[in-house]
Amino acid sequence: MADISVQPTTPEAIESRYQQRLARYVTAMRRGKPDRVPIRPFVAEFTAKYCGYTSQEVSYDYQKAFDAARRCAADFDWDAVVGNMVYGWMGLVKAISLKYYAVPGMEIPYDSAFQYLEPPEEEAWMRPDEYDLLIDDPTGYLFNVWLPRIATDVVPIGQPNTMRNNLSFLKGGMAMLDYFKGFGVQAERLRKESGTVSALSGILKAPFDIIADKLRGYKGLCMDMYRQPQKVLAACEAMMPHLFHVALSGSDPDRNVPVGLWMHRGCVPFLSPPQFEKFYWPTLKQIILDLWKHGVQTLFYAEGDWTANLKYIAELPERSIVFHIDRTDPEQARRYLGEKFCLSGGVPNDLLAFGKPEDVRACCKKLIDLLGRDGGYIMDASAIMQDDTRAENLRAMTEATRQYGVY
Amino acid sequence: MNEPKKPPKRPPGTCIPWDEKVKELPPITGDKELVKRVWEEIDGMAYVYIWQILLSF
Repeated sequence: MADISVQPTTPEAIESRYQQRLARYVTAMRRGKPDRVPIRPFVAEFTAKYCGYTSQEVSYDYQKAFDAARRCAADFDWDAVVGNMVYGWMGLVKAISLKYYAVPGMEIPYDSAFQYLEPPEEEAWMRPDEYDLLIDDPTGYLFNVWLPRIATDVVPIGQPNTMRNNLSFLKGGMAMLDYFKGFGVQAERLRKESGTVSALSGILKAPFDIIADKLRGYKGLCMDMYRQPQKVLAACEAMMPHLFHVALSGSDPDRNVPVGLWMHRGCVPFLSPPQFEKFYWPTLKQIILDLWKHGVQTLFYAEGDWTANLKYIAELPERSIVFHIDRTDPEQARRYLGEKFCLSGGVPNDLLAFGKPEDVRACCKKLIDLLGRDGGYIMDASAIMQDDTRAENLRAMTEATRQYGVY
Repeated sequence: MNEPKKPPKRPPGTCIPWDEKVKELPPITGDKELVKRVWEEIDGMAYVYIWQILLSF
């Protein structure tokens, strides 16, 4: 509780607090026991509501999103946050004419979170007979076949060129560089203004998830698992070295904070455990092992209920991952993973949206007693917090962790 | 899956491999490694572009 009442003001004191928080966060992630349970909330559109911005403002103007994240980090005095959890910048999306987003203030109301649109199965961004093209040359396939389908302005190979086609690459490349550089500045500002740690560095998705999310679509990929399973497996293998490369190249050079793995369609009911074992897990596991060989931890943002998959995840080397609990059974997560890995999350989002502060506090105490008794636990909600999270409940989560999470 | 793996046409981090590009260039009389390094660094940015569109947007 003392953290909240005394805010450091000198640069030296803020840096001291940063180092204290970094040690706390990293110690917990390595399955150690820090001074207390770290608080690392994945706050997305909540930050907008708290700071008086609309969803349109934070998804379109990333400086406002950065500003909202910094203000929340300072006001709530959290140990670590993501620089911008409203990650998809809609300005870039529209600059390069991506088709698969519903943008706040355009396709959806200005106060709604942006949405991803999956096309009908017959209009999937990758056709079922294109696996060999993808397998033979993933990067070439993405540039030559996939990008012209997902971006209105990008002209397919062989078609007459246009100014809009040229501008799409020019604007897209420069805008992306600008945005990603902004994360570096944001990390420095979080450190220097409030002593807050940037929680993640780098991005990873499972090969199977990427094929489901952005190429074949979930329904199409389900059919492919039966109609052409060897092609699905070969495509996952072909994507694997690229996804590893992107994850490693974006990882923390100091090897403190993990790469974020955003897990979508590997759990029940999307895949049965045998399907997970055959299609989803082998290539993802290899990427995790290769990252760990480089000293890079991976944070499993395990969206949904992964209880049936825990025995597979337990195969990974000790401390190689942090497992984030959304709807996974916390007791089973502790049983299968708790001795080897740090766990995080578990406070239900509906409780944060509709519950009372005393119920939130009770939930946090229960989670700390169950998952954090010997260290290796980080407090957070189950899933990213959008604008339905109530500030008083998030404050209760923060205060309860400081009250009950001291070792 | 059991067939021997072929080397990838475009290795990770690469859009136009240096070995392909160097054939188009006039003979490099100066520091060839410098030209290669800078080519690969900028080429790598194009790689980041397409893979980040896939992963992040």
